[in-house]
Amino acid sequence: MKHSFAERVVAVQLGNCRLYVLPLAVEQVVTLRGSFLAWPDVAAGDLLRQRLTVSMLDRGTAQRDRFELARLLEDRGAHVGFGSRGLRIEFTGRMLRRHVPDVLPLIAEQLRTPRFDPEEFEKVRRQLEAQLKQALEQTATRARVALSQRLYSPAHPNYGLDPREALTRLAELTLEDVKTYHATHFGANELTLVLVGQIQPEAVVPLVERFFADWALHAATPCFTAAAAPQPPGRELIYVPDRQNLDVCLGHAVPLRRQDPDYLPLYVGTYILGGNFSARLMATVRDERGLTYWIHAGLEGINTLHDGHFQIDVTLSRDQLEEGLKATLAEVRRFVAEGVTEAELAEKKDTLTGLFQTGLSTTGGLATALLINIERGFGPAYLDRYPEEIRALTRSQVNEAVARYLKPDMLHTVIAGSIRAPQDAVL
Amino acid sequence: MERNGLALEVLSAQEGFAFLESVGGIAAYRLVANGLNVLLMPQNTVPVVAFMITYHVGSRNEPTGLTGATHMLEHLMFKGTTRFHKAKGTSVFQVLQRVGAQVNATTWLDRTNYYALLPREHLSLAIEIEADRMRGALLLPEDVEAERTVILNEMDRSENDPLRNLYQAVWSVAFVAHPYRHPTIGWRSDVEHMTAEALRHFYDTFYWPNNATVSIIGDFEPEEALKLVRQHFEPIARSPHPIPPVWTQEPVQRGERRLVLRQAGELGIVMVAFKSPVGLDLDADALDVLAVILSHGRNSRLYRKLTDTGRTLSVTATNERHRDPALFYIVARLAPGVTHAEVEGILLEELAQVAAYGVSEEELVRAQTQLAALEAYGRDGPFAIAAQLNEAIAIGDWKLYATYLDRIACVTASDIQRVAQAYLTEAARTVGWYIPQTA
Repeated sequence: MKHSFAERVVAVQLGNCRLYVLPLAVEQVVTLRGSFLAWPDVAAGDLLRQRLTVSMLDRGTAQRDRFELARLLEDRGAHVGFGSRGLRIEFTGRMLRRHVPDVLPLIAEQLRTPRFDPEEFEKVRRQLEAQLKQALEQTATRARVALSQRLYSPAHPNYGLDPREALTRLAELTLEDVKTYHATHFGANELTLVLVGQIQPEAVVPLVERFFADWALHAATPCFTAAAAPQPPGRELIYVPDRQNLDVCLGHAVPLRRQDPDYLPLYVGTYILGGNFSARLMATVRDERGLTYWIHAGLEGINTLHDGHFQIDVTLSRDQLEEGLKATLAEVRRFVAEGVTEAELAEKKDTLTGLFQTGLSTTGGLATALLINIERGFGPAYLDRYPEEIRALTRSQVNEAVARYLKPDMLHTVIAGSIRAPQDAVL
Repeated sequence: MERNGLALEVLSAQEGFAFLESVGGIAAYRLVANGLNVLLMPQNTVPVVAFMITYHVGSRNEPTGLTGATHMLEHLMFKGTTRFHKAKGTSVFQVLQRVGAQVNATTWLDRTNYYALLPREHLSLAIEIEADRMRGALLLPEDVEAERTVILNEMDRSENDPLRNLYQAVWSVAFVAHPYRHPTIGWRSDVEHMTAEALRHFYDTFYWPNNATVSIIGDFEPEEALKLVRQHFEPIARSPHPIPPVWTQEPVQRGERRLVLRQAGELGIVMVAFKSPVGLDLDADALDVLAVILSHGRNSRLYRKLTDTGRTLSVTATNERHRDPALFYIVARLAPGVTHAEVEGILLEELAQVAAYGVSEEELVRAQTQLAALEAYGRDGPFAIAAQLNEAIAIGDWKLYATYLDRIACVTASDIQRVAQAYLTEAARTVGWYIPQTA
């Protein structure tokens, strides 16, 4: 019996498409995850254009209108979705095994030959406009976006557009912009398909060969800044009316990529600080002090192509703001000064390797883990190696990484909610 | 019987347990000594197991003045027992998260559940912890104080969301007597005044083996699991008193109720709700199918009328199934510049069409297929199964989980027209508008 992922996952190269199949004895269900590199020109505002283009994919294809397309999926109870994820465009599918031959060709059709109907374009634009207006009232979104703008230049994929700015840009985008984006940024660049569930590779290969293998590469090239460009640290208030809970983001840039040897020790270190309910921040700021319902710390936006940052999210009621911030910062400073203990490291190694195992208990969890590690260039075998790499970490590796990369004095603070000035918080 | 690659071994005779029945791959037992119900669903697809205990107590069981007690108690249950306590480095989170478990708890109208999804070799740990805190929770006054502000922050977080506030306002207006009118998190003033004594009383009233159901799903040996359950739970006595019933019934609603919620924001919301039957009623199946026909997918009726025409950002119909009569409702998020009245009018006209002319066979079959697929997706992994099973237990019969698709397959087009006529009436209607205020 094959036990390792390296043995169980079947990989096939079909034209420009990399297909990975993991057969699993689950009832009926097959989950698909896929992606390709679009290489948006980030500084030129392509991420919004990319999002708008992706929203057109389920609005009909050259072969059929939106209702027929939807009917073909709905009659089978199949779910298909498309998303814009930074430099990549991703797609997902959930279907019963017997419907795979119907659904895979539809996904190819949607990706390759969208209809771009002018009326639908206007509808999609109005929908996106409404979503952006909703984002204006969401304190967590506002705080995250503001932090990203303090840490990155507009050419970095992690730079978030303020909803108001996005609304202005959205109004200027035309159907031609979207069509052009599809023509120049959609193609089989690092096109990857992962299928997990009750399916054998023999059933999938002919479908992928027929509907994806001949998809050509697009000619766009990487056009983004990989390093962060932080402003001097400071505090920023984002006023959102009638919101008594304040969403607070603290963070600073971290010059690190996912493939760097320091990544895993730092990841484990930040997990010990704020990764779960028994992490230090939750144990002190929530459990002991009762200052928050939610506090979390971790590395954000880091991948193999660009740097990211360290971020702490905490929600605070207005009357707890200053005390909550003070307690959070005190815990971060103590953590960086003292480092992790052997006992903490041993505990979190068990946690992370166990979580990895439980996270792979669904077809969706498996497909996502496989896709991400294939995108990283680590391959399916990384799912076998990851627990070993976690277990091999030493206390000194973790503490050196924490000391090298976590800088409490460099933390930016963004607060979003019904607060205009610091004194508002202690009314 | 073969299911998910594992021969289902139904242990009809297991010392200490009465075997009750086996349906849909789930075997049900009762621990004779104290009445604890146990459900076993073995699956060996992946080496993980979900352990869950569901207490048959929710905000439905809270009197005025003690709203939020169930939820607050759920928080306090993580503060420790003599044995598992943070001061010893053995809190529930410390012990279970150490072995990689996904651990949490949730509270809703009819139930409270505590769960852990963990590597199969650690099942005994989860069983031991739940048995220990069934009667051993410390519920210290200082822990209540620390947790009060945590919950008030949780409340502030949820009140940031106008949809949550509209949803709660509609339930509070739709029900005048039944406790479904209370938010599960409680009214703020009740949470502010909750005492350790009150929580202790609540705990001593409801946290007993004869008011709980244990579910184990995933990769485990049934015989071994039952032995562990017996070892840890059998020493706990059944409650020294009967579990108090909820006898309050909602009086028949005799006319439309309306409300307006104002809060700063950008886009309006319309919520239209109707009184619905108890969750186990067969009519609830027809309402489930109707909800799909109305709003699931681009070919659904309300999507075509409202979202495809640019009037709404989204529209969702939901039939909430609970132990007592609850609500069938539709939530429409308005597109910029569209009025509440326009959307409400179109929505009600579409419901009237269903009541007057019914639905087509094509719509029925599509909806049944969609529900069947959703069920299959919802059973992807032990945790997903536990979450679904939990709601069936809460409604009052775990077998609803096992028989759900058969019930859905029995729904006819005439059933749908009949339930639309019976339940979606003006007299049983509550309409809520969220009107954004500009700053």
